[in-house]
Formats: sequence, C-alpha cells, structure tokens
Amino acid sequence: MLQESKGYGVIKKWLEKKDFHPFEFQEQTWEQIMQGGSGLVNAPTGCGKTFSVFLGTLIQYINQHPNQYQSKAPGHLQLLWITPLRALAKDICRAMEAVLAELEIPWTVGIRNGDTSTSERQKQKRKVPEILIITPESLHLLLAQKDCSSVFAHVQWVAVDEWHELMGSKRGVQVELAITRLIGMQVKDKICLWGISATIGNLEEAKEVLLAPLQETGCIIRAIIDKKIEVHSIIPDEISEYPWAGHLGIKLAEKLIPIIEASNSTLIFINTRGMSETWYQTILNVAPQLAGAIALHHGSIEPELRAWVEDALHAEKLKAVVCTASLDLGVDFRPVDTVIQVGSPKGVARFLQRAGRSGHGPGEISKLYFLPTHSLELVEAAALKQAIIENKIESKDPMLLCFDVLIQYLCTLAVGDGFDANTILKEIKTSYCFADISIEEWTKILLHITQGGIALNQYDEYHKVVVENGLYKVTSRKIAMRHRMHIGTIVSDAMLKVKFLGGGYVGVIEEYFISRLDPGDVFTLAGRNLELVMIKDMDVLVRKSSAKKSIVPSWNGGRMSLTANLGAILRETFNKALVDESSIEIRSLRHLFQTQAMLSKIPRDNELLIEQIESKDGYHLLVYPFEGRQVHEAMSAILAYRIAQIMPISFSIAMNDYGFELLSDQPIPVDDSNVQELFNTENLFADIQKSINSAEMSKRKFRDIAVIGGLIFQGFPGEHKKARHLQSSAALLYKVFEEYEPDNILFRQAFRELMEQQMEEHRLRAALDRMYHSKILVCFPKQLTPLAFPIVVDGLNRNSLSSEKLEDRVKKMQEQLSKS
Amino acid sequence: MNAPILYQIQDQQCWLSAERAIFWENQSSLILSDTHFGKTGHFRKNGIGVPQAVFHEDLQRMMDLLSFFKPARLVVVGDLFHSAANLELDLFAKWRSDFTQLEMVLVKGNHDILAEHWYQEHQIKVEKAVYQLGPFQFAHDPMHTTDSHETGFLLSGHLHPGVSLSGMGKQNLHFPCFYFTKTSCILPAFSRFSGTATVKKKKDNTIFAIVNQQLIEITR
Repeated sequence: MLQESKGYGVIKKWLEKKDFHPFEFQEQTWEQIMQGGSGLVNAPTGCGKTFSVFLGTLIQYINQHPNQYQSKAPGHLQLLWITPLRALAKDICRAMEAVLAELEIPWTVGIRNGDTSTSERQKQKRKVPEILIITPESLHLLLAQKDCSSVFAHVQWVAVDEWHELMGSKRGVQVELAITRLIGMQVKDKICLWGISATIGNLEEAKEVLLAPLQETGCIIRAIIDKKIEVHSIIPDEISEYPWAGHLGIKLAEKLIPIIEASNSTLIFINTRGMSETWYQTILNVAPQLAGAIALHHGSIEPELRAWVEDALHAEKLKAVVCTASLDLGVDFRPVDTVIQVGSPKGVARFLQRAGRSGHGPGEISKLYFLPTHSLELVEAAALKQAIIENKIESKDPMLLCFDVLIQYLCTLAVGDGFDANTILKEIKTSYCFADISIEEWTKILLHITQGGIALNQYDEYHKVVVENGLYKVTSRKIAMRHRMHIGTIVSDAMLKVKFLGGGYVGVIEEYFISRLDPGDVFTLAGRNLELVMIKDMDVLVRKSSAKKSIVPSWNGGRMSLTANLGAILRETFNKALVDESSIEIRSLRHLFQTQAMLSKIPRDNELLIEQIESKDGYHLLVYPFEGRQVHEAMSAILAYRIAQIMPISFSIAMNDYGFELLSDQPIPVDDSNVQELFNTENLFADIQKSINSAEMSKRKFRDIAVIGGLIFQGFPGEHKKARHLQSSAALLYKVFEEYEPDNILFRQAFRELMEQQMEEHRLRAALDRMYHSKILVCFPKQLTPLAFPIVVDGLNRNSLSSEKLEDRVKKMQEQLSKS
Repeated sequence: MNAPILYQIQDQQCWLSAERAIFWENQSSLILSDTHFGKTGHFRKNGIGVPQAVFHEDLQRMMDLLSFFKPARLVVVGDLFHSAANLELDLFAKWRSDFTQLEMVLVKGNHDILAEHWYQEHQIKVEKAVYQLGPFQFAHDPMHTTDSHETGFLLSGHLHPGVSLSGMGKQNLHFPCFYFTKTSCILPAFSRFSGTATVKKKKDNTIFAIVNQQLIEITR
C-alpha cells in the first residue's frame, strides 16, 4: 500500500537521487502515518528519526493533494513539532526547509520559542506557517492568545521530539495538557500523534502516556540499530583513600589532553555549571595550545555565544567543548567522535545518551571516556559497564495529578479565550496525568483560581479568574500579562544579568550566589574572571579582572540522584572488591578497599553496613544502603524519626548516593540489640507521614510548586520596584500555609509529590525489607572510613529532625558554646 | 500570652513580649514595628491566594496586647500598612473606631504610601522621619542618622531581625529576635507574614530570640 502511493513515489525518487536509502523503521513509520495511525518511534539520535515522522507527513500530504501539492500551500498549520530544546529548533528547521525546497512544496517552517523575535511572531500571526517548531512553554503561550483555536483548528500531525526527556517531568505534563486541548480544538479531522524517544526501560508506558488523550493504542516502531559503545575509565596514578567529591577530577585534567588531541572533536560533559567553569580554566592552564580551539557551553551563558559554539562545532572549528546537560540532547554534531564524562552520570540511560553524542555515522563506534571526580566513582564506572552489557536501562515514571501545572494551564486558558469548565474537565480527564482527578479536587482547583482559598469574605478582594456567562476568564490586563510572563515549569532561582561596566552582556547568575559576594570580589563566568563592581537593579556590573584567584559560582540546580537501577548493580559490584580484580577500576581501588576493610568492613550485596563514629563534630551513625540519594533522603528521615522515638534527640542528616549520615550532639542509641527493628516495615505508612512532617521534607518540593502554581511572583524588568510589594520567599509561604491553611491544594501537593516520588510506600517497603533481612554489620571505626568520608564532609543540603523541645535545644546550644 | 520580661533601658521600664512588642511603662506606650497590615489583601488582589487568616490573627494579636497592657498610646515604627489601600484596611479602620481613646503614632516606613488624609481620618498621627518622646526617639530605619537636635535611645524596625544559633552536631536554628545595642533597639517584625534578616551576636549587644512563645536571651 505504501509503495503504491504517489507520495511514497515522490519521496523515494528524491531519496534515490541523493543516494539515500530509508531505514526499515522509517518506512514502517511512513506506512503508519499514511494509515492515519499514531505511535512512538524509538530511535537513537543521529539515524534519521526526524525524517521518519517528517517525511511520513509529507508523503501523506502529497497523497491528499496529488495534483496540487506543489502549486498550492494549504495556508494553515499542518504539522506541529514540539521539542524540549531551543538549540534543536534551528537544526530541524534547516533540515526541513531543505527538503521542502528540493521537493518544491511551498510550505513555510516557523520556529516559536523564547528566542523568537517580536517581528517574527507578528509575521507568524499574519500568516501561520505550515510547520511550527515549538517548545512546550511557547505552545502554552499560544494557548494564552485570544482566538488561538484558529491557529490550531486544522493541525493534522503533532510530533513530540525527545519524549523520553519530557515524560516524567512537569514539562511533559504541559505537553499532555496541550495535546488534550489541540484535540479538543479540531474542527473535523482527528490528529495523528507521534512521539520520538530514545530507549528507556518503559517504552510501552511512554507510548501509553503520550497517546492517552487520543484514546488509541498506537504502535511502537523500533529502529534496530546496533550501536557499539566503548567505555574507558581514566585511572588516577594515585588513589586517595579519602575520596572527596570534586577534588580528584581536576588533578586528572592532564590526562585529557592526549585524548582531545587524538580526536577530531571532543565533548566534555560536566555535571554542574560551576564545575564546568573550573574545568574550562584548568584545561586551558595545562594545555595553553588549545586556546581558541576549546569552548564552554552551559545554560547560563548568553544565547549568542552558545549559538556560536554550536555553529563552530558543526563547522569543525573546535577541538573540544566543555559542556553540561545543555548539549545532552538531540543535536548531532557530526565532527564529534569522542565524549568524556566527568563524574558519575548517575544513570545508565543518561550515560548511553551521552555516549551517543559521539560517532554518529552508521557502523561507527561511540567512544566514551569516564573520568572520576572521586575515587569511589570508579566503582560506579565498573557498574555502568556491567549495566550496558546487561542492557539494564532505567524507566521514567510519568507524573500524576500535578495540580500546580493544571492551575497554571487553567489560568492560561482563562487568559486566552476563556474556558468552559465541563469541556475542559472532560478533556483533561483523557490525559494520563489527570485521568483520576476527582470531582472534589476539580472543584477545589476552580475555587482556588476564582476565590483563592480561605478568606474573610467581606474584607476580601481576591481577583484572578472570574466567571462570565459560564466562561472562566481573566479580565484584568495586568494579571493576564503577569501570567504570560510566568508560563513554564522550569523553576530556577532569581537570575541576574551580568554585564560589563562599559556595556556587553556576559551571562546570567543566580541571585543567591551573587548576594554573598562583596564589591571587589572576583568570580568566574563564561570562562572569564570578573570583578564585581556593583549590583544595580537586576544587573550585576563587572569589570575584567586579572586576579589569579576567583570564586566559582555554585548553581543551585538540583543534584542528580543515582537511579535505583544503577544502585543495585553498584551493590553487586562491591562484591568484587579485593576478590575479583579483573576490572581495572576495582583493581586500582585496592588500597582504598584495604583501608575500608581494616577500619570497618566492605559491605557485600547481602549485607548492610552501619558505622558509628565519634568525632569533634559529634556522634555519627552511617548507613550504606546504596539506593541513591533520593531514597536515602527518605530512609534517613524514617530512621531518624524512629530513633528519636526512643529518646529526645536532634539530628542533622546528610546523604550521598551510597549512604547517609545521622549526626547528633549526643550518643545515638543504636546497637546490635535494636538495630534490626529500625528497618521493620510495620507501621511504615504512619512513620513515613510523621517523618515527612518532622523533617519538613516537602519544603523543597513546595518551592517549585509555588512558582508553577503562581504563588510566587518573580517580577519582571522595569516593574520590579512596584512588584517588590508582591514578593515573598517560598520558605515564608510554606510557613504561612503550614500554619494557616494546611489543606491548601498546592501546599498538599508538595506533600503528595514527596509521597509519590521519594517516599513511595511500596518502594521504601521493598528497600527496608531487603535491609531488614540482610546481615546487618554494626562497626565502630576509630576514624572516618573511606565510605564515610565523602558523606560527612559534604555540608550541603542537610536535613534535620528533632524530638527535643525547641526551648531545650536553644539552652543546650548556649551551654555548649559557653563550655568551648 | 506568656509573661513579658522586664528590660531596663537607661532608667525606663520596658516590657518585652514574645508576641513581638515592647510595652514602655513610663509613657504607657505599646511599641510595634512592621505590622504590614493589608499585605495578604494586596497579594490576593493581585491573584496570589495567600491565606487571609494571617492578617486576621495579627490584628487579633495586637488587640490582645492592647487589652493586656492597656496602653494610652500605640507607636508603630514604620510599615504599618504594606501597600496601597484595600479592603483589609477597612477591617483595620473598624477596629480603630473601637479604640478611639488610644493615641496612635506612626513613624513612616518605606511601605507606608497611603494618602495623608487616610491617616487623619483614622486618628493616626504621622511622623515623617523621627518621633521624639521623653528619652527615646523612634525611626523606621535603624540606619537613620540623627540630626544634632534629636537625641536619645533609638527604637526602630525595618530590618526584621532574626538570629541563627548553631550547636554541636551541625545543628542550626533560626528565630526572629529583639536586637539591642547600648543606644538602640531593633524590633522584630510584628507581622507573621514576614521573613527575617540575620543579625550577629556581638560583645556589647543583647539579643532576645523568640522561641515558640518564649523569649530567650542569646548570650553567645
């Protein structure tokens, strides 16, 4: 059937002329699109996944208009291409335009995202392009325009690129909601919906989530492309027994130079923006000959500079680029043949994705070098290699009932043409995320946007969404404008622009970081040393500095957690320590393992190691479940809560991917006689709830929810002075809601998200159960062990939990201070 | 309400309350700072649904203080109201009309932007920068530089002072506080819908932390 169609003939001829041969998965996709089907294409980057869906829509279009496809443009939007990354849009646009030109199809391709100029927007408004490449945020912004249905009423195809990256995040929920609306706006035909995804553990579910609003099963089309991956660990000459996160890596910079020099182009992935600045500097210091041939790329660098780096990579002008997740996705830089991963990638899927940035051509090998930032990460490298052999790739859990995103979406619709509550309820219930929303919850949400929770009726002037003739609308221009400025689900700290005194934009920086500096301090941004002159309005004014020492900014961005999947493999990898030294990573850590074994024990995968250590800081209880930071946060709170029931005691809690630490100023009452009971799964549910409350764990979740749900007004340029009267911190709002309106729907969501994502009962139950039944080893090392060291020295993001009276704690602190 | 504690400033009898107020016995004056009345209303009017109960309770707490100390005068050292007029101020006005005997003085803060006549209508005496009474002077901003003819112990607000305590085992706690030097006092923000700015304990200053409903002097 495909072969007989006119469209296929046209495309096939064009491909043959260029000596291209379609992959099997591409032809399968075309066939499906021709039949009006929907589904998910599973293909790695760099093997024509864009063409699978895009050419399919062209084939179908030619079939629909066999005689006039070249003479007449449809004049309205045909294909909506949703992509999470701005950087991808230009690439895709160029590729599509080239095809359309050669096939002489008179379509236009438009890009719509945060970088689109006002004039371009106006042009798109006057004449809607046939293809629109858009980010989820910009799509919602379009939904906030009056008469937006005229833009979308005739869309035939919707493609969602990088769906594996969107699903499981609130941006994914944004996409789900937009799709329900797109379907709702169609005048006659139904939409064909295609997701494009890299491999994840739950592809079937990914497809189900995406296609839910269509109420179709759809199909998965897999590209069977066997990609060879070679992983090499860079082994330090000298292994420190006390692995301090971040300190080892820089010393290994010299070892990167030969790799860079032997490669065509190299991408160096660094986990945080702050460290990427340090690495860029260090590489230039050890290899000054690379100046001009090496660049830096991360999300806080100004867009023009980023675009220049991307173009230079394409044009083979760069030997190496130091980057963060900003270059993780999608973009194919053909000249790149080597990837270096600095520090743990924390998960198998991400590791593979980064490896895939190199060696794009069919049959080429992806080469990846792993450089540990502390010596224990070598164990992770060994575990990752094993995971790749066993093809153990993580799943991504879809998010459920994100009321903050829903509230934002409803306000978006209210700013646009307004909405009818029943219609929209029916639509959102088709989405995977909101399928199970109850009438009570829905009513509460409508009340929230129209009446704003609890108020003193006659003294209240709450005003946001109003109901006019049965339609929910925003009537205030000011509120509408403010809402449009805040559409989105990526929450970052307040960012300030960094500019030179004499003009010239360098990048952006978190207010949190800059507020701790004094004028005259020197910091590093975009690879330059800058001296802070002053902060004026929302700008940080700087001048160049030649100072040798500078402060590297810390970006508050969340720290990634080791996936449970990798954690399990990691536990098995520890079995090999000092026993099976066939892998170089394990062998090189021999000395470290010996120290660990001498001071304490090396935990095997059927054992749980617990260490109790006394130091000048107090009494440490260390537990090593190897379940990843996220699970450890939950588990440490439960354990702390349970111990605090034995006697009044206060804890400061720290964790990393291997284990966690409970630190107290008094001896911790845990020993062989009661340790096992701490992992008992009886009363788990109640203990989870109580420990969340005592450790105020939902506080951090609340911050994002408050921003997305419109409780935090971040202000915008020019108006910020007046806006200051509307500003409050998430911590303050949390306190106010906790005390005065604890059943507020957004406040409750912070709690719920925590319960679902981190404190999920059955996952915790399984983990605790495993620990309960493992052989528990309680050791009392005389000093910090190699496993304990990185947890104890890491002071960031500590939680706390206490069963002592606040007044008593204050008095005790005063006494301790007067003694010392 | 927990019993207030006596704190002598020069030869004046001052009672500090954990409800974030000072009662100056010699002049029968209750002193508050940064009440930010109307703040929740201002947020709500702009589509941000914070619970109004905060405002209601703040107002209630002020009434409790007034009936406890029975002062002749109420002095607010700035930021009495958060922003432009809104319906919440009507509730305040209603309360004001029930306490006509009470003299009320406002030393203007940066948030006090209402029109002059509004204050007049509600019998609030407004001082633009400094209010002088006996040996004390009142100003909103503690950085206020005194002119030569204004002297005396300075009571102010604006900062919303808070104090951080740390102890063994990397424990940290943070509380709003009263902050005294030899010549001045910064009051904690009265409003519960307000954050804090950290002040440090030095040798010759005195800090009272508000811990739950208790005042605890911080000695280190």
